[in-house]
Amino acid sequence: MPDLFFLPAGPLPPNQIIWFGVLLLAGVIGGEVARRMLFLPRITGYAAAGLALGPEGFALIDKGLLSELRVFADISIGLILFELGHRIDLGWLKRSPRLALTSLAECALGAGLVYFTLRTFFALDILHAFAAAAITVATSPAVVMRITADLGAEGQVTERALLLTALNCSIAVLALTALIPWLYLEYRGGWQTILLHPLYLLAGSFALGLAASTATLALLRWLGKREEMQAALLIALILATIGAAITLKLSVLLALLAYGALVRNLDRHYRLAAPDFGLTGQIFFLILFVLAGASLDLHAAWTGIVVGASLAAVRFAGKAVGILVFVPGGGMQVRQGLLLALALTPMSGLAVIMLQDTQSLFPDFGRTLASVVLPAVVLLEITGPILTQLALKLAGEARPKPAAKS
Amino acid sequence: MGELPFKSSQPLSLGVELELQIVNTRDYNLTRGASDLLGVLVKGGHTGEVKPEITESMVEMSTLVHESHVKLIAELRAMREAVVAAARKLNLGIAGGGTHPFQKWNDRRIYDTERFNHLAGLYGYLAKQFTVFGQHIHIGCADGDEAVYLTHMFSRYVPHFIALSASSPFQQGEDTLFDSSRLSVVNAFPLSGTMPLVRNWAEFEAYFSRMQGFGIVKSMKDFYWDVRPKPEFGTVEIRVCDTPLSIDRAAALAAYAQSLARYLRLERPRAVSDDLYLVYNVNRFQACRYGLDAGLIDPFDGGRAKVHEDLVATFPRIAAHAEDLGCRPVVQGLLMGARDFGNDARRLRVRFKETQSFADVVRWQCEQWMQPPK
Repeated sequence: MPDLFFLPAGPLPPNQIIWFGVLLLAGVIGGEVARRMLFLPRITGYAAAGLALGPEGFALIDKGLLSELRVFADISIGLILFELGHRIDLGWLKRSPRLALTSLAECALGAGLVYFTLRTFFALDILHAFAAAAITVATSPAVVMRITADLGAEGQVTERALLLTALNCSIAVLALTALIPWLYLEYRGGWQTILLHPLYLLAGSFALGLAASTATLALLRWLGKREEMQAALLIALILATIGAAITLKLSVLLALLAYGALVRNLDRHYRLAAPDFGLTGQIFFLILFVLAGASLDLHAAWTGIVVGASLAAVRFAGKAVGILVFVPGGGMQVRQGLLLALALTPMSGLAVIMLQDTQSLFPDFGRTLASVVLPAVVLLEITGPILTQLALKLAGEARPKPAAKS
Repeated sequence: MGELPFKSSQPLSLGVELELQIVNTRDYNLTRGASDLLGVLVKGGHTGEVKPEITESMVEMSTLVHESHVKLIAELRAMREAVVAAARKLNLGIAGGGTHPFQKWNDRRIYDTERFNHLAGLYGYLAKQFTVFGQHIHIGCADGDEAVYLTHMFSRYVPHFIALSASSPFQQGEDTLFDSSRLSVVNAFPLSGTMPLVRNWAEFEAYFSRMQGFGIVKSMKDFYWDVRPKPEFGTVEIRVCDTPLSIDRAAALAAYAQSLARYLRLERPRAVSDDLYLVYNVNRFQACRYGLDAGLIDPFDGGRAKVHEDLVATFPRIAAHAEDLGCRPVVQGLLMGARDFGNDARRLRVRFKETQSFADVVRWQCEQWMQPPK
């Protein structure tokens, strides 16, 4: 037996846990550098760290590792969608119909302008333009939620940005699902598929969300109001719901949104405290943004810079007009309306998932769609967080820095 | 005329200021909402005034001057409706209660005005801890001498007001064991406490100008006394009350103060004496700690009684005055029913015991304030 048998033999075997640690560490450092030295959002730093380590940077993270770590991203997206769904306060929408109208106008005008631009200036066919418009309706929930949490933002712009994001994500997913029959008509599939697939997606995902929320409320009835237990219970049920949605080939997005929204609005006895995933959540979110950064396709963004910038611009214009139309009498000033529109600019992971979902069903259609939408997504993934942060700061809703003493 | 003219006002006229909590309707923590809320409030939709207070999580409702409880409560209801309509539009909750049960004081934001920023700079953490919510009751006085007399004599009844209004049993997520934990926060300020034993307005003016000469105060606003004369309004101001959970209770407390003032003013039952202040701090502490069950020492005869017993003993003395002011049933209900009905602190504790959730307690507080029983 050699004397130094206890030392590792070279070459050193790769170890996923090390990479996971490295990724987290890079994210933490990137986030703090961004915040302290560049006054940028933390999440921009996470993404930049991911980009630096990823295939387009030092290539420390390769495609294989990316797909292995994908499960963390899925979990954090699940947490985010649940929390987002939980933000949908039907009571507020009922009391202020203007708010519901604002949401519809913001979605319709933004999507309308995107559709018009793609048809007129980029000569895209109707189906592609429609699908692209539907995807751009959604604001990145992860970005808006992380930025508001990081800034400790409170106030009308913050609250409405979160609510409108929840609504426009739901609308985007629904619109894209509604597109499925036309896609089948165009590409393949009998009438049964045409009819039953979207129905299965919608009804199935909704039913899954309903089942999860009913189970949650029943368990809470038994558990009581011990809030530290609630977070663990929620995470458990959210994981189960994500898993079930994937296994049953349902829409993870719809199921989790429905879960969050239903569990809040069905909770007549106020058993569920506002979800707070705390430190666990933070680690997942950090990983999500690092991975998003690592998978950023800068090349696609650069080649499609014209279409990307055009879509980003008209999307903002549409959202801004949609919001401003309903500002009078809606409880906000014009300035707040503009800042709200600015806060809604980010696009990211959710759009990518919607693209991937489409691509898995209709590969050719999906590829063309991605080439149109992806540049805007990448552009707004980079600039969006900065704009949202700017909007909330200008609105005076970010937590002030600890006052320097005179 | 001296340095500090006392503006004469209609004796026994009545006005109320209420500091209210602004919370979000998701986790029911205090939230940054004052400037948004004030931006939405319909101007001219109500009388009185809704103003910002030191933090963004607080607004103050102040009424006009009224002769009677009936008119006061009518105005308060109209103001509440306006504030509630605005709050619903913004999805905010508005609640009474002397403290927020679980807010962390360091999360609070100072409302951006020069005076508030100055106070925040001067008092540091005290300014943020001062996120407490009180009711101030103003009673009109014919002249400064009367205001000085009433200020002293009210101090005998301060424990009543503390115990009846107490609605701050919880702070920072803990049961403080106090019925009114809010008042202890006020104690930390250097100019809190009571008015010194001046006998008339001339003496008070002399005192004030000395304090001004020291550079300690600029205006009456700088005194955080439990009861203080307010020369620019021509009133005596009782400042020990927690904001009750409902407007009806706030108005009933004002009616009690008015009846008491009429009794003291017309009957002059006792002369001002420094005995009043020998027992003052002990009685005040007892009332904060034990509420209606607190033991009181009478400064004039040394008698001992519980607050709720003392309330029952007080009612016959002021009943005729309340009758004349048109608020006898309200005052009778408040005083005679104190023992059985309890105060808001008791109700908050019951609520917490049932639900074990401070968020639920605050949601219930919002219901009490925003959706009164018809």
